[in-house]
Amino acid sequence: MSRPVAVPYRSHRWLPWTLAVLAYIGFVLAAYLTFVHYRGYVSPCHIVSGCETVQTSSYSVILGVPVALVGAVFFGLLFYLTVGLLRGRPPWLTSMFKIMAFLGALAMIPLFLLQAIVLRAFCTYCLATEILMLAIWILSLLLTTRARSGERVQSDAPTK
Amino acid sequence: MSTHRDRDVVSGIIPWVGATALIGLAVIALYLFTGAAATRPSTAAPVTASDITFGPAGARVTVIEYSDFQCPFCAEYATWMRRLREKYGDRARFVFRNLPLAKHRWATLAARVAYAASLQGRFWEMHDLLYQRQEEWADSTDPRPLFESYARSLGLDMQRFRDDADAQSTLEFVRRQAAEGQTAGVTHTPWFVVNGESVLPRSLGQFERLIEERLR
Repeated sequence: MSRPVAVPYRSHRWLPWTLAVLAYIGFVLAAYLTFVHYRGYVSPCHIVSGCETVQTSSYSVILGVPVALVGAVFFGLLFYLTVGLLRGRPPWLTSMFKIMAFLGALAMIPLFLLQAIVLRAFCTYCLATEILMLAIWILSLLLTTRARSGERVQSDAPTK
Repeated sequence: MSTHRDRDVVSGIIPWVGATALIGLAVIALYLFTGAAATRPSTAAPVTASDITFGPAGARVTVIEYSDFQCPFCAEYATWMRRLREKYGDRARFVFRNLPLAKHRWATLAARVAYAASLQGRFWEMHDLLYQRQEEWADSTDPRPLFESYARSLGLDMQRFRDDADAQSTLEFVRRQAAEGQTAGVTHTPWFVVNGESVLPRSLGQFERLIEERLR
């Protein structure tokens, strides 16, 4: 029985571009929430949303740093890493991206649970960033390493 | 040879410069976007005799506010509105309309209480009290005794106050205003309409500028 072979990079050209777009959207959303936080704006009470509850809860700031700012920096970093992925795919960069994506997705679990269980309110922007982070993590699992141009394409699958 | 290397260096830098430009662009755009008070045309119902108003009827500026007494952000804005009424109350007209949100347990009751106070000519006093003491009654299991204490502190006729607050016509008034607000596309509270334009000023200064511009 033949073993499944990982799809080599060339058929996944869309992947780093998709990751870059997702990371950039995540950055914009998190940066928006950061601006809203630092401008000290009061947000309106939405008829069908609990954004105001989430944004102004004590959990929106950790050790004096707004969670939104942490998110903006994190997504910004991921965005820069995707630029690196677009240019080539050394194993260390791929591994770093995968680890960061995993940690990001992991961090979203308590944030989601806080909204669902403790605050019992959901912020659309926060949910959107959580979905983006999850999508980035899932897509990062498809990442394989790429050799420099002129070298043989390398995949994560064992070669036999 | 060196030209070839230079070209490699330049082509290596371009993506990073592009990424930094995109990040910078987003930051600048968000800075500008979150700093402006966007306006758009509103379909809010025109002011009628049944509306609760403050200021002259023929004023050049009319500020309609859809609000919920249990909304913490409305409480924040209420302090601004009080200052605006004090500052522009002789030149601008302020209209209060109820939009109690379903998720706020006592919002409709508070709206009824405020309307009952309005029938004795003390709406704005009750309005300010309800917002100032929002935390006190919003989390209580039964805010009625607190509402009654506010009414008493304003010197209202208590029997009339209770009857008016409980009256079906009062509930209908509140529901009618809320329905009108939703028909006009109000999606959150507070929601402001200044001279026919929906606007959400982000600071007292912005609100003052909006009114000043329209008073000129």
